[in-house]
Amino acid sequence: MRIPPPRLKLALVLAVLVAAHFVLRPRFGPSPLAPDLVLVALLFFAIRSRPGAGAAAGFVVGLLMDAVTPTAFGSMAFALTVVGYLAGWLKAVVFPDNLLVNTVFVFAASLARDVLQVLAAGQLRSGAAALLVTSPFAALSTTAASLLALLVFRSWLRGVPTR
Amino acid sequence: MAIGVERYGTRADTIALLACLVLSLVALALPEALRRPIAGALRTSVLAPVLAVERQAVTAREQRQSTVRLRAERDSFALAAAFVPELRAENAQLRSLLRLGSRLGYGFVDAEVLHQTGLSDGLTLVLSAGRRAGVVPMAPVIAPGGLVGMVVSVDPHSSVAMAWTHPDFRVSAMVEGGRLFGIVASRRAEASGEMMELRGIPYREGLAPGTTVVTSGLGGVYPRGIPIGSVQGVLSESAGWERTYLLWPAVHPAQVSHVMVLFPSRTRDTLTTDFDTTAAVAHPGTVR
Repeated sequence: MRIPPPRLKLALVLAVLVAAHFVLRPRFGPSPLAPDLVLVALLFFAIRSRPGAGAAAGFVVGLLMDAVTPTAFGSMAFALTVVGYLAGWLKAVVFPDNLLVNTVFVFAASLARDVLQVLAAGQLRSGAAALLVTSPFAALSTTAASLLALLVFRSWLRGVPTR
Repeated sequence: MAIGVERYGTRADTIALLACLVLSLVALALPEALRRPIAGALRTSVLAPVLAVERQAVTAREQRQSTVRLRAERDSFALAAAFVPELRAENAQLRSLLRLGSRLGYGFVDAEVLHQTGLSDGLTLVLSAGRRAGVVPMAPVIAPGGLVGMVVSVDPHSSVAMAWTHPDFRVSAMVEGGRLFGIVASRRAEASGEMMELRGIPYREGLAPGTTVVTSGLGGVYPRGIPIGSVQGVLSESAGWERTYLLWPAVHPAQVSHVMVLFPSRTRDTLTTDFDTTAAVAHPGTVR
């Protein structure tokens, strides 16, 4: 099956983001404030796909992330499934290439991911402090990274149909 | 398909969402014995390439940090090594001073030379010992190698010495053994730097190069026997009357960091055997 060029460009952007995530992450050391480029990649994909595809992608990515942090296996899959579905669903009401919309969207998605993961893992009591203190800053750094990525790859992402 | 369904998702999307959520909850409910193998299988298969990339990035970061640390350590060692010769020289001086101090036994005070910047440093020296330590004007200043100069002014906690390099400096000298006497003054030579000249040696008496010249004890300022320098050669002669000899100094004031100031009670002593003549200023051609 021939992949249409816009979809190929999207796949390349996502691959670059995932690779950058694993290359850049060690530079931040153990800091919880490092940007989550995998989440950015998921959102870039989900907002240009159907909600079901967003949910499936969120589940797969979440399960893989659970494999590298297996304290509550399945919790990230749960959180990213919801985030991926909502991202696909919200594309009907937002313009994904708009920088302001993208900013609010990524920030909210990052916070929602953290809240859902803590809830799914049943760690609300122990994770409340992290949610209040580090999550907003992590969401900010992820939002900044997504803005940068959007500026860099804007021309490539513009042609991708949001279906 | 209705417009609303088209815009906000179809039944298939909802089913996909529910399926994924159920699978997530199943994963959460899995016993630990099943979670570990699944997570391990994912890490060694799908995640293996990205984890390899991350491992490489971590290694590169550690190597960069290690390089920076090693470079900083190397620079620190290089800086420390630059001072080693200076420290060795100072250590040797202090050891010589300790030996001289033990030989002199009494009647002196140790002082540090507070070298100043400027052209006058080396002609006059600021010493760290003053009136409170017993230093008085005209007290002899010596180093392990020999004579350095004489105190000219005294403050409560410091003093100023006129070094032998000063144009006004004079000291009554004799050749070891006391057979010949003369006056030693400084002589600024263009090529060889600060030197001394020994004036008033009778024409008929020749001094071999390397002959040691010491203080004579005449005049009541310097004790007898402090090394001043060694003969280098004839500088000038007035026919049939006297010769002036060029001397290598026993001590160069610019090179000393610690000295001893003698008290007046030592003025009448003879100190010939107290000095370490190997500590004198080394110069090629000098016979000790």
